[in-house]
Amino acid sequence: MKILIADDSRVMRQIVTRTLRQAGFGDHDLVEAADGQETLDKTITESPDLVISDWNMPEMTGVEVLRKLRSAGNEVKFGFVTSECTAEMQQQAEAAGAAFFIVKPFTAERFDEVFSPILG
Amino acid sequence: MSVDVVVNPDDLAEMVEQVWVAYLDPEGVSPLIPTGDDGQPSEVHSSVSITGSWTGHIVYASSTAAARKAAAAFLAITPDEVSPDDVSDVLGELANIVGGNVKAMLPPGAQLSLPQVILAPQSATRYPSAQRISGLYGVWDGEPVSISMWQSSHEVNKGGTA
Repeated sequence: MKILIADDSRVMRQIVTRTLRQAGFGDHDLVEAADGQETLDKTITESPDLVISDWNMPEMTGVEVLRKLRSAGNEVKFGFVTSECTAEMQQQAEAAGAAFFIVKPFTAERFDEVFSPILG
Repeated sequence: MSVDVVVNPDDLAEMVEQVWVAYLDPEGVSPLIPTGDDGQPSEVHSSVSITGSWTGHIVYASSTAAARKAAAAFLAITPDEVSPDDVSDVLGELANIVGGNVKAMLPPGAQLSLPQVILAPQSATRYPSAQRISGLYGVWDGEPVSISMWQSSHEVNKGGTA
């Protein structure tokens, strides 16, 4: 499967990659995006099977990207890895069609719990 | 402390412990040891601003050595391999993670900014309309690290936090 990792922090993209590997999902095809616009563009051009997105990014927030995708009919599995975890944000994410919501700091166990049903 | 702070030093300590366990000290051998010294020096710092139900700043400050060590731990490399960009990126992410967790403890309606990183002592940055209301001050392998909350003076003067 192809996974798009979207975060404006290069270090955090590396940590997400490493944690995916630690959780046993290291053999998937990984692509990266560094802001909201690039996330939207690459979701369209790269056609990933899964998008793991930060919330607060330059150009466009993660939830704005998700809303644009859904309004264009794109049903890619999309969820958030974010330091922010308020109930209102989780509601916004769910309403926009997010498949998961992971809070930073996260562990490989949390990734396993969330991604096992999705990635198998 | 003249106001009822919704996020106290114990809350900050719990958030910081999670960050240490997840990224900076997964083996549990090198925790941040609180000193309570709010005057400890720093060489670099990062911050995020929160506006809305609570208005202020969350500031992460440390020595350069602690910042390099943090970047090395985040990236699973040695401190010698850490680039200046790595240090800036990790400092920003540390402020973002703590700020996001602080925001989660605030009343609904708060907005978090993107992080700002300053490779200079915390004292080089002024928060002209804010007062430090809470903080966690400690050492990590002998190097100073602190996380502090600065609240809008306007809100402090109103006598409340939200």
